[in-house]
Amino acid sequence: MPRSAEIQMQELVDVITTSLQDGDGVESLIANADAPSDELKEYVNIIHALQTSLVPQEPSAEFSDGLRADLLGRDVRLPGRFRQMPARVPVAAVLAIFFGCVVFVLRRLFGSDPPGEIQEEAVVTPL
Amino acid sequence: MRNPFARRADYRTLDESELVALAKDDMEAFGELYERFMKKIYSYIYYRTGNAHDAEDLTAKVFFRALSHIGGYVDKGAPFQAWLYRIAHNLVANWHRDQGRRKIIALDDYVAHSLKSDAPDRVTEEREEQDQLMQALRRLPDDRQQLILLKFVEQMSNAEIGEVMGRTEGAIKSLYHRTLLALRDEMDNDLTSGRNRRLDGSEG
Repeated sequence: MPRSAEIQMQELVDVITTSLQDGDGVESLIANADAPSDELKEYVNIIHALQTSLVPQEPSAEFSDGLRADLLGRDVRLPGRFRQMPARVPVAAVLAIFFGCVVFVLRRLFGSDPPGEIQEEAVVTPL
Repeated sequence: MRNPFARRADYRTLDESELVALAKDDMEAFGELYERFMKKIYSYIYYRTGNAHDAEDLTAKVFFRALSHIGGYVDKGAPFQAWLYRIAHNLVANWHRDQGRRKIIALDDYVAHSLKSDAPDRVTEEREEQDQLMQALRRLPDDRQQLILLKFVEQMSNAEIGEVMGRTEGAIKSLYHRTLLALRDEMDNDLTSGRNRRLDGSEG
């Protein structure tokens, strides 16, 4: 099929689909089209079959209400999660970070024996 | 004291972009987005998975993922639902990958109420035709299934489908045409193989 004829057929199929979805007749479209009517009727049959088979589905009210409650009751965003935690959790997290920083700074300032040397001392036994 | 019902009524009057902007910090606004789009997303996933149980599970995942990422959502002019459908599409693709095989869609639940004829013979015939059509649809590549569902279940225009699938309107028309041809061929093949099976059965 030449490119222009193919595009023309795409347009025609699109118009036929829209007409069928709007509940309009397609007889005049088929009669006036510059394409074999048998071929167009095949398209109409498939489109009609899709239209009758593919109807919107709905979940149960129980699922729909339950999911809404889950979503609105449980904020999964990070600031939301933080706000929903018991007060002691963020307080403990902040204190842990603070003391961690203090220990780190003190060790940098005053220095200390590396862990390897401490272990060596521990295994030395007096003769 | 704030009247919660008055607030919810306000959300209903907001347009989509205002609501999305609010939903970044406001759970009630997100709840309104949920009300607007949940059924559409569920319906789409239902046809992609073929059963209500997985459809519910994946719908829940779509909205939890949307909730956790809405803070970083940037409005580029495309409808919000295009973003939700993309999340749903990715989750369904992962689901199919995890399943390792494509399930045949369970028709019984929805064919019964979509049939128009009451005559038993006609009902059986229509059910067989629809079953055959749905099986043919399930054998198509992912993007073609997606297009058909967005067009017929969600009743989207070509422009809207283009926004969800990241293609131009012209590309959608072209893909739609090729999809119908592929469906026709698949159904013809089914008919031919069905006839051959019947002939083999009668000979044996």
